[in-house]
Amino acid sequence: MGKPLIMVSSVTYAMKARELLTRHGIRGYVERIPRTAETGCGYGVYVPQGADAAERILRENNIRILGRLEQDDAE
Amino acid sequence: MIYLDNSATTYPKPVGVREAMLRSFRELGANPGRSGYEMSMRTTRAIYECRQCAAQLFGAAGPECVVFQPSCTQALNQVLKGFLKSGDHVVVSDLEHNAVMRPLSELTKRGVTYTVAKVTPADSDATMEAFRQAMGPNTKLVVCTQASNVFGIRVPVERIAALCHQYGAKICVDCAQSAGLVPINLTDSGIDYLCCAGHKGLYGPMGTGMLIFRDPQDQLATLIEGGTGTQSRSMLQPDDPPERYESGTLNVPGILGLRAGMEFVKKKGPKRIWQEEMQKIRLLYGRLSRISRVKLYTEAPSLPWYLPVLSFTVEGMPSEAVGEALAGAGIAVRCGLHCAPLAHDKMGTETGTVRVSPSIFTRREEMEMLASRVRQICQK
Repeated sequence: MGKPLIMVSSVTYAMKARELLTRHGIRGYVERIPRTAETGCGYGVYVPQGADAAERILRENNIRILGRLEQDDAE
Repeated sequence: MIYLDNSATTYPKPVGVREAMLRSFRELGANPGRSGYEMSMRTTRAIYECRQCAAQLFGAAGPECVVFQPSCTQALNQVLKGFLKSGDHVVVSDLEHNAVMRPLSELTKRGVTYTVAKVTPADSDATMEAFRQAMGPNTKLVVCTQASNVFGIRVPVERIAALCHQYGAKICVDCAQSAGLVPINLTDSGIDYLCCAGHKGLYGPMGTGMLIFRDPQDQLATLIEGGTGTQSRSMLQPDDPPERYESGTLNVPGILGLRAGMEFVKKKGPKRIWQEEMQKIRLLYGRLSRISRVKLYTEAPSLPWYLPVLSFTVEGMPSEAVGEALAGAGIAVRCGLHCAPLAHDKMGTETGTVRVSPSIFTRREEMEMLASRVRQICQK
């Protein structure tokens, strides 16, 4: 099963995103973007469950999303 | 030493500030926002919490609105040089510090013009009329101190903000002296850019300051570009605050100290600190007003029109000579022009004044001792 990481524009927005999701009952973890060769360095929020809902909540709250990484657990 | 130069920088700092800075050296020594290992993430979290603390103290929309800067001067430069373009007109008050006037003067070489509006102490209507008269069709920005760093005269920045928005202009407020004393709500007040020092009324360490945006999407051109720890494939500076304006490694010990300073202020309550310091300044004003050779330049300062900053001169003595005599008695004050020649021109004190500024730690007896020493100087 993939590990969904929602990439945002900065570590400040990643932390804000995590707090926002917590308030909406969604667990999230701030993590470094793992595949920097493609995206460059940065941060995202790993959302084990409910990534689609999380992404919607973040967009509704004006948090710019740069993309989503679906990383294998093995990686 | 009796330290009465708190408008320059507060001293001493609360114990919590020193402890927070020590903790950063002991436990949070990794670079924030650059890595994913545990200490780096803990440091990043601590920086984020400082942003939250500032956002709460100043009523900003969120932590992303809080940009750390090395000083209030740097924050003001960021706004002025990041916002203004050739052909733009600016309105400033006649109390501005050189932190505003020098960058603005530099910008006049690039086609920016400005008008100085007169502040009438304790008369907001007259001040508002002066700002209204100064506004023009090309006015894009008003830059205004919230209170004079020399005379403590307060400026009605919330009303000026409303005026600015009527004209389609923005307002940048220099809160160097007022942050930590005057309660400010960025969202309600309409202030677009708030610039403040961390080391004055917020009781943080030197080398800290903040630029706080009302609207985080309100983008300024950057003064510096470089590494932000994010979107590093791109050669373009990131769009989003706060990192857009914070290239390079942050001053972690300073920022953690600043957070402790702000927590100290929040716990005491800015208004309470303001009231307590005003009592000390009024006591001094009363004592000095009875000394015949002492000249005071404002009415007896009172809330809400003044901040606890008092200037005086001694007839027949340069301000620096008075300062030297006080220093000889172990009393620290600031003399001269206080980097605010405009304010001195306004008040007719072009040769300088002696400035006294207490902090929450100043005792009434220290004000009495200062007055007593000034009396002795005047009797010589």
